[in-house]
Amino acid sequence: MGEAGFTTFLVDDDPAVLRSITRLLKAAGYRTRSFLSPQKFLSSHDPSIPGCAIIDLVMSEIDGLDVQQALIDTGSERPIIFLTGKADISSSVKAMKAGAVDFLTKPVQREALFSALVNAAKVDAACRQKRLESKSIGERLATLTHREREVLEHVIAGKLNKQIAASLGTVEKTVKVHRGRMMSKLGVRCVADLVRLADKAGIAPAHQLVGQGSN
Amino acid sequence: MDSLVSELPARERQSGASREHLPKLIRNALIVAIAYYLGAELAFLIGTLSDKIFAPFWPPNIVLFCALLITPTRQWWIFILAALPAHIVAEAQVGMPPDQSLVAFATNCAVALLNAFAVQRVLVEPPWFGTIRKAMAYVFITAFMSPALCAFGGAFVQILGGGAIENYGLYWARWYASNALGSLTLGPIAMIMLERVRSPVISLRHVEAALVAISLIVACIIAFEDLSTLASRYVPALLYLPLPIIVLATARFGAKGASGSIFVISLVLVWRTLNGPSLFDIGNAETNVFAMQLFLIALSTPILLLGAAIDETRHAEIATRAREERIAFAAASSSVGLWQHEIATGEFWATEYCRTLFGLPPGAPLDLDTLLSQIHPSDFLTASGALKSAIGRPATLEIEFRVGHNGSEERWISARAQPVLGGDGKPAAMTGAFADATLRKTAEAEADMQRQEIAHLMRVSMLGELSGGLAHELTQPLTAILSNAQAGKMLLAKGNKYLTVIGNIFDNSITEDDRAGEVIHRLRGLLKKGEVKYELVDMNELIASTLRLLHSELIDRRISIHRAQVTHLAQVRGDPVQLQQILLNLFINAMDAMEDVAPARRTISVRTATTDEGGVVVRIADRGTGLPPSQEKSVFQPFFTTKKRGLGLGLSICASIVKLHGGTLSLQNNVSEGAIAIFRLPPPMG
Repeated sequence: MGEAGFTTFLVDDDPAVLRSITRLLKAAGYRTRSFLSPQKFLSSHDPSIPGCAIIDLVMSEIDGLDVQQALIDTGSERPIIFLTGKADISSSVKAMKAGAVDFLTKPVQREALFSALVNAAKVDAACRQKRLESKSIGERLATLTHREREVLEHVIAGKLNKQIAASLGTVEKTVKVHRGRMMSKLGVRCVADLVRLADKAGIAPAHQLVGQGSN
Repeated sequence: MDSLVSELPARERQSGASREHLPKLIRNALIVAIAYYLGAELAFLIGTLSDKIFAPFWPPNIVLFCALLITPTRQWWIFILAALPAHIVAEAQVGMPPDQSLVAFATNCAVALLNAFAVQRVLVEPPWFGTIRKAMAYVFITAFMSPALCAFGGAFVQILGGGAIENYGLYWARWYASNALGSLTLGPIAMIMLERVRSPVISLRHVEAALVAISLIVACIIAFEDLSTLASRYVPALLYLPLPIIVLATARFGAKGASGSIFVISLVLVWRTLNGPSLFDIGNAETNVFAMQLFLIALSTPILLLGAAIDETRHAEIATRAREERIAFAAASSSVGLWQHEIATGEFWATEYCRTLFGLPPGAPLDLDTLLSQIHPSDFLTASGALKSAIGRPATLEIEFRVGHNGSEERWISARAQPVLGGDGKPAAMTGAFADATLRKTAEAEADMQRQEIAHLMRVSMLGELSGGLAHELTQPLTAILSNAQAGKMLLAKGNKYLTVIGNIFDNSITEDDRAGEVIHRLRGLLKKGEVKYELVDMNELIASTLRLLHSELIDRRISIHRAQVTHLAQVRGDPVQLQQILLNLFINAMDAMEDVAPARRTISVRTATTDEGGVVVRIADRGTGLPPSQEKSVFQPFFTTKKRGLGLGLSICASIVKLHGGTLSLQNNVSEGAIAIFRLPPPMG
């Protein structure tokens, strides 16, 4: 059932609860690391390991929500499933807003936990995928020259080569060359792919000053 | 004579009451004058001595004395004046010369005035013969002092009538004896008649009195009549014949009987002595009369005193009985029965109300064992044991017990007893009171029930406040059990490889189930509405248990607990549920007080210590907002609260619980910050 390399990080300051859920997760085949202390979990946290965190909301050392915040603050996008003894609306809303995958009430049913884990795994995988993609895109983008980058921004703004040349103060031919080089460096074949990539990389299209004039 | 003495004073009493009216005063003076005259005539009728002047027995002086005795001193002159013509007329009839008559009148008045004055001063008021002291004073004044003094003047009466001056001593003695005899024989009966208003109904007592009087007269007549026919050596024996009847009359009727008998015997004896063969046949008539006078004086004095003594005893008895009845009535009115137990004789006395108290029927014997047998079977051993063992010990006893057997109404009785020390300083008797304590006990029980009811409601409401945390306390073990079970089920499906783990799963599940059970047990303890059960309690354990109950709530409110406790804390006696209620209340107050404090500073410190007396002191301090200034006392008032949603009953209930446990509870602001509750419990008794 567990996915290869996927680890569940269980944090609960009640040893009995921690032990029993660990058993359940292990029985289901999940690789599991359990922490009695939320502090220890935070200090030893490795975001590169795929997986998700199952955190008790009410703990004497640090509140579950504070653990979530601490993870966010370090830039980790670890999906979190909260467990709580009392379903209190304000903390569940807070948790979900901060990006928690699920908010489960104790005593937690196996099915609910596992389906939450499946969701978490999907989120984690998607996250990682996105991160991986954005990482490779970034690398490719880094190879572009300044002029090529400018051309890119104009292309995704939907401008014609002629317009680009005009706004960059060059000739259409030069733009064509830059455009071809830029496309090949980024490994895209069509403008549609380029637009998607730029979107993922978070590159904003160039200001459409000329477009306005053409209207 | 009898009718005169009894009729006249009754009228005089009336006149005394309305002495302001001149016509009545004149009428009374007239009555005295007539009575004086009749008295003199009576004396002459009974007989005077040979000279027809000197009477052995002179009623007019007694008439005057009695009139003066019941009249204010300032009106005395009126009666003296009224008596003067009566005296002169009476004496003139027997041929007494005026000068002699005047001297006789002067001495008569002197003795009457002296008697009346001294008796009024010394005896003050009727009953004149109510006590032996008064009777002795009367005898001394009227039979010795004043006649003896006045006789110095009275002796001249006979000298003026031609008596020899050498016989002055004899005349003195005669005058003295005549007046003393009058005071002893006529005086008492007249005075007693003046004292009382006679009841018109003829009762058995009147019949008895008449019978005694008749037999006395008969005895006297036999004694004195047969004298002439008997040999003189029988005289002493015959003289004693009336004595038993005199004593009987005195014993039955007290001073009244004594004075009546003296009057009867004097009358008969004087009459016989003067008009027949004399009992005192010594020599001439004068000597015989004198002997008779001495005999009567000697006889009447002890009889009169005996009568007074009997009256005094009887009155004391009546007074005692009346007082006893008053006390018994007062005691019964306030639902108290009195009792006394004589240790030496085992004699037991109790007021009638004790019967009512112990539910005994009217005819039942009123003794200690019967009373004890009414004690409720469950209190019997302790109560009867305590009562019995208290008898004979010089200490007071206070005990409460129930009476009433199956079926009959149950009553609470509070018994108090104290020893009465005898002459030897040892307890001679045990005296005490039984009081009906049913009403108080019922009220106490009701108040106690209400207090318990409120205490229970407060516990329920406190637990309501804690419900979130308490649910969490149950959820944790339930989560562990469920996850364990589900893991076990999955492992089982994988074959036999995981049997060890499955074993562990079972072990853990059992542990966790116990944990949940304990929470429920603790809750049930606080929620149940059971009887108060006192037992030895370890306050450290109770604090630990309370904190476990509060565990989740404390975490949720980010409050940390700091505990400082001695390891060997003294035990206290108390009801664990109620004591835990106090702790719970104090903790919740401390927690509530720190709502607006930064989480890092939310600390409650709990300290326990053994006090110098061997009790326990628990201090619970918070770092909250503290009490409003100058309200450290009012926090224990019912309905006082500083909370937004507080009823204000928690601390007032706590205070009443602590009080029931004989401890103290105080709440004050800490020097630095927050408030501290100090809760002391005494060492267990016995």
